[in-house]
Amino acid sequence: MFKKTSAVADAVVRGLQDIVGPDKVLYQSADLLAYECDAYTLHKGMPRAVVFPGSTEDVAAIVKFLNRNRVPFIARGAGTGLSGGAIPLGGEVIISLVQMKKLLHLDLTNRYAVVQPGYINLQLTNAIADRGYYYAPDPSSQGNCTIGGNVAENAGGAHCLKYGVTTNHVLGLEVVLPNGEIVEIGGAGMPDAPGYDLIGLLTGSEGTLAIVTKIVVRILKVPQDKRTALAYFDSIEDASRAVSAIISCGIVPAALEMMDRIAIEGVEKAAFPVGHPKGIAALLLIEVDGIAEGIEDQIRDIAEVCRKCNVREVKIAQTEAERALWWANRKTGFAAMGTISPDYLVQDDVIPRSRLPEVLARIQQISEASGLRIANIFHAGDGNLHPLVLFDSRKPGESERAVQASMACLKACADAGGSITGEHGVGLEKKEAMRLIFTDEEIEAQMAVRRVFNPNDLLNPGKLFPTPGRCAETKQAEPEAVTGH
Amino acid sequence: MAATLDTLLPPERVQSGPVPDDPFGNHAFTRVYPESEEEIAAVLRYAHEKGLSVIPSGNGTKRGYGGLEETADILLSLARMTGITEHSAGDLTMAVRPGTTIEAINEALKPYGQMLPLDVPWPEEATIGGVIAANDSGPKRLKYGSARDMVIGLRVVYPDGKVIRTGGNVVKNVAGYDMNKLFIGSMGTLGVISEVRVKLRPLPPFQSLLLIPFDEADHDALSAFVIDLQNSHLEPSALELLSPRLARRLASGSTWTLAVAFEDREKAVIAQEAWVKEKRATDIIAFRQDAAAQWWREFSRIAPNAAGRGPDPPTHATEIAIKIGSKNADVIPLLLTGDALAEALGVTMHGHGGVGHGISRLYAQGADAALLQYVEEVRRAAEDKEGYAIVTHMPLSLRRRCDVWGGKPTHFPLLRAIKQSIDPKRVLNPRRFVGGL
Repeated sequence: MFKKTSAVADAVVRGLQDIVGPDKVLYQSADLLAYECDAYTLHKGMPRAVVFPGSTEDVAAIVKFLNRNRVPFIARGAGTGLSGGAIPLGGEVIISLVQMKKLLHLDLTNRYAVVQPGYINLQLTNAIADRGYYYAPDPSSQGNCTIGGNVAENAGGAHCLKYGVTTNHVLGLEVVLPNGEIVEIGGAGMPDAPGYDLIGLLTGSEGTLAIVTKIVVRILKVPQDKRTALAYFDSIEDASRAVSAIISCGIVPAALEMMDRIAIEGVEKAAFPVGHPKGIAALLLIEVDGIAEGIEDQIRDIAEVCRKCNVREVKIAQTEAERALWWANRKTGFAAMGTISPDYLVQDDVIPRSRLPEVLARIQQISEASGLRIANIFHAGDGNLHPLVLFDSRKPGESERAVQASMACLKACADAGGSITGEHGVGLEKKEAMRLIFTDEEIEAQMAVRRVFNPNDLLNPGKLFPTPGRCAETKQAEPEAVTGH
Repeated sequence: MAATLDTLLPPERVQSGPVPDDPFGNHAFTRVYPESEEEIAAVLRYAHEKGLSVIPSGNGTKRGYGGLEETADILLSLARMTGITEHSAGDLTMAVRPGTTIEAINEALKPYGQMLPLDVPWPEEATIGGVIAANDSGPKRLKYGSARDMVIGLRVVYPDGKVIRTGGNVVKNVAGYDMNKLFIGSMGTLGVISEVRVKLRPLPPFQSLLLIPFDEADHDALSAFVIDLQNSHLEPSALELLSPRLARRLASGSTWTLAVAFEDREKAVIAQEAWVKEKRATDIIAFRQDAAAQWWREFSRIAPNAAGRGPDPPTHATEIAIKIGSKNADVIPLLLTGDALAEALGVTMHGHGGVGHGISRLYAQGADAALLQYVEEVRRAAEDKEGYAIVTHMPLSLRRRCDVWGGKPTHFPLLRAIKQSIDPKRVLNPRRFVGGL
């Protein structure tokens, strides 16, 4: 990655080079630029170095060394995180797990796979699809994001309505604790292992409790049949009512997604236009799967519910190509906003699904008050909203207004009994917003758990929890004070 | 002490007196029956201040599960903390107080066409708080998952009396740590659950159950059939193997019997039944709808129950329950081993295991010494296959003679540190859990 010309000044970098070799450490500022942020780009911070371990033992040695020298560090996968969980505050060493990317073991009989953290989400499904299996959690970034990152964020996706999010599919973990100790939890994926459920606790801890170095995940059999429908509505109110009506009519759809007028405008101008009818206010993308003999009845019932909610038209995908196009149209929705706006901010609120109509109306008010357009493209079946605030950062003051509008959406959802994040995580972006849903005492209870795992607060400091006052500057070790490993 | 507690709760809800005459321990001379979260908090604050030990309890079905004490200072019964606090049918979620039984919950949900799919033993007595604290489950976890897949939020009273909400009201939520998970299966050693919020499921439109007997000598046919079924497109809600003795009680034969359940649209259920019958035509007993539900009700009563509703017919021999966790493919060999070991040790065993979810249960009766040896040998067999075996029901006298949790996991220091952080005075359920937590 770089040519070693002379001894490196930073003793921490030298220490890392001693552990993994000089070609596995980046430390020159030009090389570090790419690590200033993840997919949340509003904040940037310079890491001290980036190190690429090749094994669990490497990770453990690196962590021991950094812990001994009190140098803060961050684990990073593909950098697709949307809440800034992998962004340095300044001076952290990034431990990139992208070179630990093997599928270690596949056990179809027992329905599990063992992967390294840098293994790409979609690769797992691709590796087992020919034998009729798949890995269920499917975040929109599944072609790039790593399973280690998915575990850190407890990633979701369009199909978690029926099949659950990452935490429902993790059976075992090997982790490196912030003191460098290697710990295995859950063994070969045994259910209900005696003891507190550390797998459940670590999943979604946003890389603040431990670094995941091996993951046992559940794999599922591909359903026998599936059917995908598009339902077009003339009012957003009707579409929202249809969501709740479908949920309460006895069907658990595999996916139930919604896009509003502005979102549709965006996706139709982007790479995968479907040719949605002009002038509709909202569409639902609905998928059901399961035993073939039961599918027709399910889709018929869903169409009936939509009709009762004044649907304009229900279309069933006739071919796999058509279905794939509809999904591509939806899954590239965020990026598609680039075709109708120079910049956008995505939010990740969750509400009780029965409150969709009122919350969407409130978001419309926020849009009008801010003078900024807000597109809605989201996992309606889970009540997981993704309001996209469209803005132009070149216009003075517009970025600030966009952030305000986005936060107002968040507040509206919290007020409706919801949560500030359904799948993107808290990270840097929403740590102050934790106060919208948790009391100080509840935040302290969570921080007490962090202190159990991460007593020196070296692993991903300054994330997830609101900062009390301004004293949370990242600690930096003096290079002179470095001790050996 | 009772006098002081009288000032915290109405006197009629503070009882003192001899503990029940049963062999399970986990009781107390002083028993309190709070009816609100504030009252739970008041009791815990008092205990915390005075350094007293507290055993939280529901209806007592799991008093034989863990614990090395005859009595603690206070038994905190949640039996009167009952009722549904909120049910949002359009959201498929509900909030319920911890002393509500699983059956009461499902009765209340039925008119809405919804259910809480936790098919635990003794649903008419087991409370939701107890089921979650003990992470109990049944065969249908194959399709619906277990408590950790259903709980979306908890209200927990910490040992010092503070009230912490974990999770939230919504079905998808990654804000902060997933603290729900800490309390699920923690055996009441970290906090007292004062409210549970769960995801619900629609009631299946149709259900059926097939009982498929396999010839005693033909274990290969059994394994082959199970593999065949699992590799097919079928989506059974349960795939539970019954030991011969259990089959004699719940099916017609006394041979290894596979219970295959389907819950889906009627057409989908019938299509799946047809697949099974085509592969395995012999002697299948089929139940549909209410008859299937009735069979599962019988099934839910086979486990021992420390609340007194013992096995039927009653027995005077000591009874224990073992839970095994293993890889799916090891369920059949471990059940076979469990059966053979019982035979060899002169122990009577009714057992079942989920060939698609990896949890097996062995209910054994016999002489004390034989039962202790049985636990040890079953555990060895499970551990040989990278699994575990714990004892989920056993008289106190025997619990003191073996480790019901089977030793400490390698990451035990983390578990101890969590306990230490949340309950440093060891108020709640001392020595009830793994490694003496």
